[in-house]
Amino acid sequence: MFFYYLDLAWRSIKKTPFLSLLMILAISIGIGITITTLNIYKMASINPAGERSSQLFAVQLMSHDNDTWETINEQITYQDAINLSQSDVPVKQAAMFRTGLAVQTEDVNFSPILESVRVTGGDFFALFDVPFIYGRSWDKQVDEEGGYKVVISEDMNKEVFGGGDSVGKTLLLNRKPYQVVGVIENWNPSPKYYDVNNGAFNDSARVYVPFSLAPIEEYESWGNNQSWRHEDIRTYQDRLNSEMHWLQYWAELDTSAKQQEYQEWLGRYVEQQQQVGRFKRPDARGEIRDVAQWLNFNKVVSEDNKVLVGLSALFLVVCLVNMLGLLLAKFLKRAPEVGVRRAIGASRLQIFSQHLVEVGLIGFCGGALGLFWAWMALYFLSSKFDLEASLAQLDQSMWLIAPVIAVSAAIVAGIYPAWRICSTNPSVYLKSQ
Amino acid sequence: MLSMNNISKVFKTDLVETHALRDFNLEVNEGEFVAVTGPSGSGKTTFLNIAGLLEGFTHGDYFLDGVNISNLSDNKSAAIRNEKIGFIFQGFNLISDLNLAENVEVPLRYRGFNAKERKIRVERALEQVGLASRMKHLPTQLSGGQQQRVAIARALAGEPRFLLADEPTGNLDSLMARQVMELLEDINKAGTTIIMVTHDADLARRAQRNIQIVDGQVCDFTMYQGGQSEQKPLTIADAASVA
Repeated sequence: MFFYYLDLAWRSIKKTPFLSLLMILAISIGIGITITTLNIYKMASINPAGERSSQLFAVQLMSHDNDTWETINEQITYQDAINLSQSDVPVKQAAMFRTGLAVQTEDVNFSPILESVRVTGGDFFALFDVPFIYGRSWDKQVDEEGGYKVVISEDMNKEVFGGGDSVGKTLLLNRKPYQVVGVIENWNPSPKYYDVNNGAFNDSARVYVPFSLAPIEEYESWGNNQSWRHEDIRTYQDRLNSEMHWLQYWAELDTSAKQQEYQEWLGRYVEQQQQVGRFKRPDARGEIRDVAQWLNFNKVVSEDNKVLVGLSALFLVVCLVNMLGLLLAKFLKRAPEVGVRRAIGASRLQIFSQHLVEVGLIGFCGGALGLFWAWMALYFLSSKFDLEASLAQLDQSMWLIAPVIAVSAAIVAGIYPAWRICSTNPSVYLKSQ
Repeated sequence: MLSMNNISKVFKTDLVETHALRDFNLEVNEGEFVAVTGPSGSGKTTFLNIAGLLEGFTHGDYFLDGVNISNLSDNKSAAIRNEKIGFIFQGFNLISDLNLAENVEVPLRYRGFNAKERKIRVERALEQVGLASRMKHLPTQLSGGQQQRVAIARALAGEPRFLLADEPTGNLDSLMARQVMELLEDINKAGTTIIMVTHDADLARRAQRNIQIVDGQVCDFTMYQGGQSEQKPLTIADAASVA
């Protein structure tokens, strides 16, 4: 009977095109807005580390002495980063920060580009599963002793060298020659979980240089520099020795045993630092958070987004109430026909089902149109309001979610009109037709 | 076939109680053609609605083909209407969006027949009323008489044992009315029991039995046999025994 009801529904829509279009428009606008906010929410709250989410941990230390910060800070000091790197518990680990350098080639005609650069350890690429097209990361020796090596992205490779295998070529960063050791794919996790301080939805860096060069080249920090006390920082060395929090630190701990072991290691580290006069608070401690916990801790998905999804759902309800009114008018107008159908053998349930199928079809059409509105809205938001590209992509799951929400919502709105029409007394209409 | 004992139907509002039927008794045997007459507001349509399971009743017992109709669920009532009862209305009540074949097919859909069975039955029913060649026409493309014949075909398609006709010729001119009446007589001769509500005394006279309803009760009874009428006043108490 489903296909019979579907056929009747299609005829009914064609018979009252204006009224049907109004209903489809009503639900499509509600769905369009709901899907737009839901898409932004979903894209913002996606876990970009996938299966490795529970193996990658951000490391935090409660190193501040006073009450300047209420909770444990998300970044650490340089001296702590150097000390943490001495631990052999993590499978891989890397400290990092963002800087900016002028990128040039040996070609004198190439105009320099001021580029955001990530300063990090050689483990960074394996830690976050960054895929290489050519070459690989720099050696351990570079991490220990320093070395002018650089890894660039596919985009940057194309821009400065015209693409191809550029391993071995020289890139000038702030006029100093760096040897290209690897070219990675355009790796751009969203949210940029490894460094949420510098815009969680900003693009990843296209140039990566060794962390060991920081004291030598005195790379400026382009990220947040957080201090909990006044310090007279005049030189780069002052900065490295200071209590300023400006570095991110990540470790791979692939088993729960490793995680436990590292927590214990951090506990011992805090005690050791207390002995040398640091970490004076009674609740001084080290903490690790996996990617999901980390995104939650940093409120990457803001409460505003959740409120927005709730408000759009309320708007959908308003659209459905409008639709309910239109459905009631449409269905009750059909009461004489329903009377005939009831007289010749249709049960209430069959009439109810017939009308719910019609409502479902209207909902489906509304869902399809709503998807189009959502796509338009995301395009508009990204082009006019600078919405991050990663958030403005219509997620594939929305192709399924939109019709499901639309059909379900339409059916909820259609239950009362369908019940009213199937409950009418057929004999009233048979005589009056 | 149909047995109503002391059926009452009361319509209540906050202020008024209206007795549409009161202690209504009627027996109709299988294969009979019964005409029901009476003034407007006498309860003819209420009787027909109750007989066709379109309305419930307040008191009494109603047996249709041996089945006690009191307190039947909606599903069972619908199934009985679909399988045992055919309806013919004064206003034809065809569904305007559906062509003739689709209109006749509607009750067969609800019965759950497959497409092949439905096709056979639709063709047979439309042939029976002489409209097999116009299957794809819409009701609006037909005359009133033709539309009523389609309604009869729809009623017949499910091969019901019982036809209820409410003023089937009320909207037709005399020629069309005669044709429709002849069709109903043929159907009755083939074994289908018919109860027809009508205002037309001439048509009523063509039935085997006339029931007159006044103020919700059977007040008069007339039998016609061999083309000659033998009118006998009948008390309510006598009705069951005569039938």
